[in-house]
Amino acid sequence: MRKVGIAGVGHTKFGRVDGSFLEMLSLAAVEALDDAGIKTAPGSVDQVFVATMGAGMINRISGVASALVDTLNLRPAMAETVENGPASGASAVKLAYMAVASGICDVVLVVGGEMMRVVSGWEATDFVATMLHPEAEYQYGLTLPAFAGMFTRLYMDKYGVTEKDLAIIAVKNHENAMHNPVAHIQLVPDLHAITEDEDAHVINPYVAEPLRMYDVCPVSDGAAALVLCAMDIADRFPGKPIRVAGIGQATDTHVVAEREVPTDLLAVRLAAERAYRMAGLKPEDIDVAELHDAFQILEVAISEEAGFFPRGEGHLAARRGDTRVGGKIPINTSGGLKAKGHPLGATGVSQVVELVRQLRGEGGGRQVQGARNGLAVNFGGFGNNVVATILSREEE
Amino acid sequence: MEPKMNAYKCTQCGQLHHPAYFICRQCGNRTFEAVPLEGEATLLTFTRVYNLPEGYMKPWIAFGIARFTNGLCVSGQIDSDYIAAGMKLTATVGVVKEGVGKDYFGFIFKQAD
Amino acid sequence: MIIDKMEQSLRPPETPMVPYPAKYITLASGEKMVVHQIDREDVPRVLEAIKPMITVEKDFYDVVAARIYAELLGYYRYRVKDEYCLVGTVNGVIAGQVNGRMLDEKVGMSYHTMTLKRGLRIGAQLFAAKMEYHFDFLGQEEVWIVAESPIGFRRWMIEYELESRPEQWHELGGVPTFVLTKALWEKHKANKCTGRRPVSEEMLATAKKLILP
Repeated sequence: MRKVGIAGVGHTKFGRVDGSFLEMLSLAAVEALDDAGIKTAPGSVDQVFVATMGAGMINRISGVASALVDTLNLRPAMAETVENGPASGASAVKLAYMAVASGICDVVLVVGGEMMRVVSGWEATDFVATMLHPEAEYQYGLTLPAFAGMFTRLYMDKYGVTEKDLAIIAVKNHENAMHNPVAHIQLVPDLHAITEDEDAHVINPYVAEPLRMYDVCPVSDGAAALVLCAMDIADRFPGKPIRVAGIGQATDTHVVAEREVPTDLLAVRLAAERAYRMAGLKPEDIDVAELHDAFQILEVAISEEAGFFPRGEGHLAARRGDTRVGGKIPINTSGGLKAKGHPLGATGVSQVVELVRQLRGEGGGRQVQGARNGLAVNFGGFGNNVVATILSREEE
Repeated sequence: MEPKMNAYKCTQCGQLHHPAYFICRQCGNRTFEAVPLEGEATLLTFTRVYNLPEGYMKPWIAFGIARFTNGLCVSGQIDSDYIAAGMKLTATVGVVKEGVGKDYFGFIFKQAD
Repeated sequence: MIIDKMEQSLRPPETPMVPYPAKYITLASGEKMVVHQIDREDVPRVLEAIKPMITVEKDFYDVVAARIYAELLGYYRYRVKDEYCLVGTVNGVIAGQVNGRMLDEKVGMSYHTMTLKRGLRIGAQLFAAKMEYHFDFLGQEEVWIVAESPIGFRRWMIEYELESRPEQWHELGGVPTFVLTKALWEKHKANKCTGRRPVSEEMLATAKKLILP
């Protein structure tokens, strides 16, 4: 199998986007193509993958990938839309990797995007909930936050995680986002104001007890893009591509109540193990990580299942500052889903964009010094389909 | 007639399933018979959700994951002022979502006597 | 202006209203917002803050701003009975306002809520302060509420479990009336209404500067 690398990255500012869905995807796409020095002309790209969960349901568009190829003047490139819930982005990266590694493609464009703010908050919540089991979960009015709340309660009871631990992580992510111009939220909440202050219970109310408003990511629009290429044609590109060293994926039960161990995220563990094995790396080798913190409890749990900390100690590491920039293993230097935002289809791609920027040394005020290996974990459903991606900077 | 909730018992090995699946998780068989899923359950975890999706007009709803005595774990709404992990519940069946033209029935757990 | 008999006859008689005691709330950003009741002489300042919104179509800002402008101007020129206006300020800068009036001893007529400093859910805090004024200080039994923005209003409708009373006409007209009763206020206020009193003289002096955003 050929070695695969990332030659270009693109990323819109997450938050509110004006214009059409296709325009939003195109902005990210051309930024990545320009970054890779690739012309928007027929034949320059072999395959386009578009990652999106809602284009059909929310924006009433289907065949998005085909439409994107045409508007970018890339015909007759092959094209497909990839849907894996919130893990659509990482799945699209995985398929792009396979297309290049197999020898079928030399250059593949991946664009992830979501435009959720065209509908109300209730409709967005409902739309995201459709990934739950129709009879056993969705029809009850259960939502992703509901399961995150129940998971948080189990974690708090079993491991002693506190509400303040989650707030500490949220504040860290917001501080990181202040150094990331594409992040949705450019405001750092005050730790005391959202936890212990007399007004905190009203200012930071419960969303899904015991999760509070500032433990949950915002609703965002945005797109991110990557150009994957074969490493054996790397000299065609202006800079040395960052290698995709490992990919792993695993599924778990659809119905959350059927998980064997309710506090385990088995699919995360298996996906990460497979990615490490393929990359020939261990958790200790990872210098920077983007972990899917749609709910801050997930940053804790995923950091443990990915092997960074022993079970039940992820929150202790956060308290110590181990996951800050400059700490033992910086997590979510981009601001994470919490502060960077979470346009569902874009997230998996956005996480990889951040890793590329870190490994290239383009992290600015959030740069992890000397970062060589990065891990991204993209969490689909409530953990029933997880994709892990490892990137490595090759030495000259 | 009051609606009932069912578990699905594999006709070959007897393994219980809820909800219904195409293939038996224990032996790979493809036929099942419906058996009532009811009675006492233990609450494993719960939450009160304040941001409900489209179609729900209440300020909040309590949800939980409960384990029946036969080992099956299910999600449901909870109708009880007092809620604590580990408490004993009785499963009732009620309208969990009002639809257009039809209502959706599911587990509503109440505190066991 | 000269207050002659004609002018006097056009001014509604004023019911004595307990003034709203100022309070301050610590926002999520760590900043403190002071909520205080303005006097008539402050109205022109607040009007200036509201004015730019009159042309913003998004989220019904234009309708709401135009109506608030008229309501506050009416209060300023003594043409509305028993109206009040509470303003939220952060470091003296106007962050939002709420207004309404007493219909009679028992019933409050909620007018509007406008947020100028976005991202910190200030509107929700000011709305709660308004209800706090009607129930906890003016001693009323219910407040009638209507709204222009479907999204903003639906949230309050659900969160406060407002009673639907479509047959009751609201002064602002047109849309169905919803009612917050004392019982509902008592049920929800712990989760909705917060803030500390008293506000220090220094903080209050800053708040009264009413700096335009």
